[in-house]
Amino acid sequence: MSEQQAVGRVLGTQHTSTQEFRVVLDDDNYLQLDDLVVVRTQVPKAGEVRTYGVVTESEGIFEGASFESDTFRIAEDGILPAEKVRSAQVAVTRVDPELWVAADPGETVYRASGDERSKALYVDEMGRPLPVGIGRDTKPMFADLDFFDGRKGGHMSISGISGVATKTSFALFFLRMLSARPEILGEGAANLRILVFNVKGEDLLWLDKPNRFLDDEARDAWATLGVDPVPFPSVSFWAPPRRRSGDVVVPDTGGRQEGVDAFTWTPREFIDEGLLRFLFTDASDSRNQLSFVEERVRTQLNRWAVDVAGQPGAVVLREPPPGGWPRSELATVASGERVIMSLADLVDALEEFLEPVDGDEPDRAWSGRTQAGTISAFMRRLYAAQSRLGHLIRAGDSRRIDRRQAQITVVGIQSLHDLAQRFVVGAMLQETFEEKEQTGQRLPLSVVVLDELNKYAPREGQSPLKEMLIDIAQRGRSLGVLLVGAQQTASRVAPEVIENAAIRVTGRLDAAEAQRPEYGWMLPSTRARARLLKPGTMVLSQPAIPVPLVVTFPFPSWATRREEVADEGDTFDGI
Amino acid sequence: MAELYVEGWSPEYGAAVDLSDERVAASPIDTSVEVDGLWSPMNGHDDDIETVAFVDGIRRIDARLTLDDPVAGPVAGICGSFAVGATIWDRKARRSVYAHQQVHRMAVLASGSHIDFPIVGQALDYRAESVATDDPAALLAHFHGAMRRAEAALSARLAASGTFVIADGPINELRAQPIVGYIKSHRVTYLGSDLMPVIGRVRAGQRTPIFLIDGAQFARYSWYVRLADLAGGHSWTGIVRCEAPTALGIDAAARLADRTAALLPLTASEPHIDPRAPQNLVPIAALERHLRRRLGDQALVYRSLQAAVAESRATLPAAEFATESASEIR
Repeated sequence: MSEQQAVGRVLGTQHTSTQEFRVVLDDDNYLQLDDLVVVRTQVPKAGEVRTYGVVTESEGIFEGASFESDTFRIAEDGILPAEKVRSAQVAVTRVDPELWVAADPGETVYRASGDERSKALYVDEMGRPLPVGIGRDTKPMFADLDFFDGRKGGHMSISGISGVATKTSFALFFLRMLSARPEILGEGAANLRILVFNVKGEDLLWLDKPNRFLDDEARDAWATLGVDPVPFPSVSFWAPPRRRSGDVVVPDTGGRQEGVDAFTWTPREFIDEGLLRFLFTDASDSRNQLSFVEERVRTQLNRWAVDVAGQPGAVVLREPPPGGWPRSELATVASGERVIMSLADLVDALEEFLEPVDGDEPDRAWSGRTQAGTISAFMRRLYAAQSRLGHLIRAGDSRRIDRRQAQITVVGIQSLHDLAQRFVVGAMLQETFEEKEQTGQRLPLSVVVLDELNKYAPREGQSPLKEMLIDIAQRGRSLGVLLVGAQQTASRVAPEVIENAAIRVTGRLDAAEAQRPEYGWMLPSTRARARLLKPGTMVLSQPAIPVPLVVTFPFPSWATRREEVADEGDTFDGI
Repeated sequence: MAELYVEGWSPEYGAAVDLSDERVAASPIDTSVEVDGLWSPMNGHDDDIETVAFVDGIRRIDARLTLDDPVAGPVAGICGSFAVGATIWDRKARRSVYAHQQVHRMAVLASGSHIDFPIVGQALDYRAESVATDDPAALLAHFHGAMRRAEAALSARLAASGTFVIADGPINELRAQPIVGYIKSHRVTYLGSDLMPVIGRVRAGQRTPIFLIDGAQFARYSWYVRLADLAGGHSWTGIVRCEAPTALGIDAAARLADRTAALLPLTASEPHIDPRAPQNLVPIAALERHLRRRLGDQALVYRSLQAAVAESRATLPAAEFATESASEIR
């Protein structure tokens, strides 16, 4: 109750309500957007009721001016006396105790600080308040982790124009807060695993390096949030192998090679995990009967594949005995028999079954009763996949992405074709989700960060990837698989995915996009402002607070470009 | 025992009494005090005076009263409120503020009747007064006179502190103070036919030479000023008349006249905004609006009066009826 600062009084010329009221400001004070205020009202028979609110608009007018030209008479000629009145519109966030009465007109309005600020932001009612940014008053703003980690809600959805909305930056900031404040996250902090896809540039390949442009202001901000301004301590980086690099497997990255592992799947893994389905992720694929053929071929591959002695990861396709091949079966390659070492080999093998060169009918066991045209379409897609992601499938020792290596696993797919990107994302999501499905446990938590969600779970059409994302959005909460999805426009993403996100965040929005129903959780004033938000400023909504918060987040303490990487030693030593 | 009633009739009913301050009686005029002979328009001069005070008052009849005297019969009365104040124009800071507003409330009864007027509410304190006659017009004149006296007192107070005052209406000032009376309408012809044409030649920012009105009670200097050249207007459009005390002497009066010719056009109102433009000066019009608001909501005041007067009848002899009704009103 200390440091109370009266800023004005509740306006008396219009009705106050339990939704909003106006504050007429004292001459020597101000309120800006997003400031938090409190009003104490004496309610007959009930005692004092405190109304908390957040400023949604700030206005000023010459009282006494009736015509627009009066402005000149008042301000320039000075012949018309007028009162300059500044006021602020306040949206009520809370009434405490919960007695829903309007604030009294004429009551003093105070800036909410200290405990009152916490109450205005419901921090006192949050199970596990995690700082998720800094308010305009330079104090931390909180989100209730109960609504992120699945206890009461899960997932986060981040929207905003690319480039200025800083979606990825905010996602990483959030991850940093999540991983750096284990005392808040609680039991979920143990063995927390985070999977991040780097889809554009190589921004995320430097998470483990300090940022040399980190200044004192940013350090202060990090200190406010209770986190050391250091890079992510535990990160593993993965990238697809470079093409045409022969037998040497080198990660296909531009700026960084050291510390980056190349990942591939062996044909064995490809078949075991049914990754074939993720070659048919185009939304148009579901409209014809391709998925039919794909399903049948996938099942057949599973039954026919036999490991090859001395060739780890490679398989041969042999007609299985009744009951199928035992897993321990090791084939010794007969002469002339095709050993599947790569996707190209697999495609060739499938071609023999489905489109025999000599013009024979396709093998019904593989093709089912599908039209020849569908078979051709299926094969055409396989050829395309072969050229686009053939390099991701190769026999040899397993090089699959190992998410246990570090807390954060960054998978760089920026150099891949769209089709290949969807393949990798699909394979990784399936792996993550199935792992949790098998245990059925919420813990340890597994967080997946995926940008350009509109590409993977578009509003229109069907694809195995979209189904999987919807599945994660709907069931992931209870299985501890939490999606931090980002997209330019929420209206282009499958509504099931957006609706299941308990925490919603937006950066700057396109003006037209901001008017869509997907952003109905924002106040009209916030919507209007969403097209003006500066990079680094986000609007955050969570179930615990009835109004969205506007927060900023500090400059990253990790590098986001090669140029930002600070030398591990002191660069300026001896200068 | 005489009982007091608030009439249900609108307070403004029967108020059509002409309270024009302009003295209709023709006074001797001397047109040679400044310029002897043929007149021509004179240019105004802005002497960069820093502060100008515009003084005005407004009044309102809040209710009509009847005192039911069982012996003498009904006695008419009125309840009224008036407010006076000033707009202080700080020309250097290019800013105007309202100042010295005061609100007075009066209950005036005819036939010299005296009553203890009930207390209506905290902010509604009516002073009981009476006039000797039973002429309803005298009630209004008394009320109006009180307002004019308050205006004059404020003007004098401001002028005594050295502020240049422009007071709405004719002046009642004998002392040598920088007060200029500002008269919007022209009911009396002061100039003869030889000088009258000069009015038509006075342009905005100019004035006529000063003439002396040698009134019965006291003499005043006077001159005409044109506020604006309005298209399509007749020769008197935009002309106002000003007055200043003769005690100033002709030179000082001429300086004030020059000043008004230069300054008044700056504060003239625009025809598309004010139907009384340009004569209704912006600072005065604003002051009137402001003062009117200070009188309080008319309907609320009327109901409060009714309630308080009814209460006072019910609880006679008048003693402790005020507290409860006052809280009701608020």
